[in-house]
Amino acid sequence: MTAEAAHAAEAAASAARVGIGGPVGSGKTALIEGLLPLFHARGTSLAIVTNDLVTQEDAERLQRSGLIRPERVVGVEAGACPHTVIREDPTLNIEAADLLERQLRPLDLILIESGGDNLASTFSLDLVDYWMFVIDVSGGGDIPRKRGPGIVRADLLIINKSDLAPHVGVDLVLMQTEASAVRDGRPVLLTNCRTGEGLDRVADHLAHDVLMEA
Amino acid sequence: MLRLTRIIGNATEPAIADRLHALDHDGRVETITLDAADTARKRLRVATDKGTDCAVALARSERLANGAVLLLEDARAVVVRMRETVWLALAPRDMAAALELGYFCGNLHWRVRFEGALVKVALDGPRESYLARLAQHLEDGRARLADEGEGE
Repeated sequence: MTAEAAHAAEAAASAARVGIGGPVGSGKTALIEGLLPLFHARGTSLAIVTNDLVTQEDAERLQRSGLIRPERVVGVEAGACPHTVIREDPTLNIEAADLLERQLRPLDLILIESGGDNLASTFSLDLVDYWMFVIDVSGGGDIPRKRGPGIVRADLLIINKSDLAPHVGVDLVLMQTEASAVRDGRPVLLTNCRTGEGLDRVADHLAHDVLMEA
Repeated sequence: MLRLTRIIGNATEPAIADRLHALDHDGRVETITLDAADTARKRLRVATDKGTDCAVALARSERLANGAVLLLEDARAVVVRMRETVWLALAPRDMAAALELGYFCGNLHWRVRFEGALVKVALDGPRESYLARLAQHLEDGRARLADEGEGE
């Protein structure tokens, strides 16, 4: 194998790393649970890093889910503010992703779920190649207008629990329109992770933007 | 879709610069323009200035930089151009104001650098958003805008 071919092979074998951030209870873990069968059907080899404050709660939930082999999930205990380990010093998460990549090679995709945080949380691009931010309608229709860095800067914004809009007095069309406006037109998707509604489009975005499918 | 999986070298290297110069004469050099922050990404889907859809997927040990050459063939080359970071320069009024301003910037997780008595904040978004956060510091004179410059 030539040096060029070896280099191309190494790059090809390197998994895409995608962050998932968002407030507590917005549906980050449910999003992963909804995406797993879709990526399985597409033949995508996938692993997950979860972040919790002082437990392995989300990792154990996914390991018990039957949706993914338990050894493909690693939990990181942040021990402090969740954004610290995805932005200021993402060493713990980089090491966890590297470990998965070494053990499970070849991998196509590693999802890195942040612990629940506030609207200011963002991912370091030293850790991920691309990141999504998940909010939900029950948090209030005015959330996009507050222009939190998570909402403004994420590569993909997901507004989850779309089915709850009429029950919590949220104008879903207005919420999505305002979200698009503060994001300068970058993508905003509506989902209902419980039913799977909208998740195909999330998978399509990841397939195009980081898995480099045509 | 054009797959680009390695950094061949930099446009400033003499041998590469000569080839790029020749290709450029025939309009065969395409440019990918990125914000400084985006150069940390190992994977990105982006179009060149000539509209070619590029799928960049690098090894994790590689890092994009201004002038990185991702394709160098007889028919075509692809080069990365990094937008220069814009810095907002702030001059605190005195030591107490400097302490407060430093704390404030840190609390907002702003990227800063120091030049003498100036604090320079990297603008990762609209300038107006930063000025809105700094309004109290600027209005009561604890800090003033000074010499906004550009460059890495």
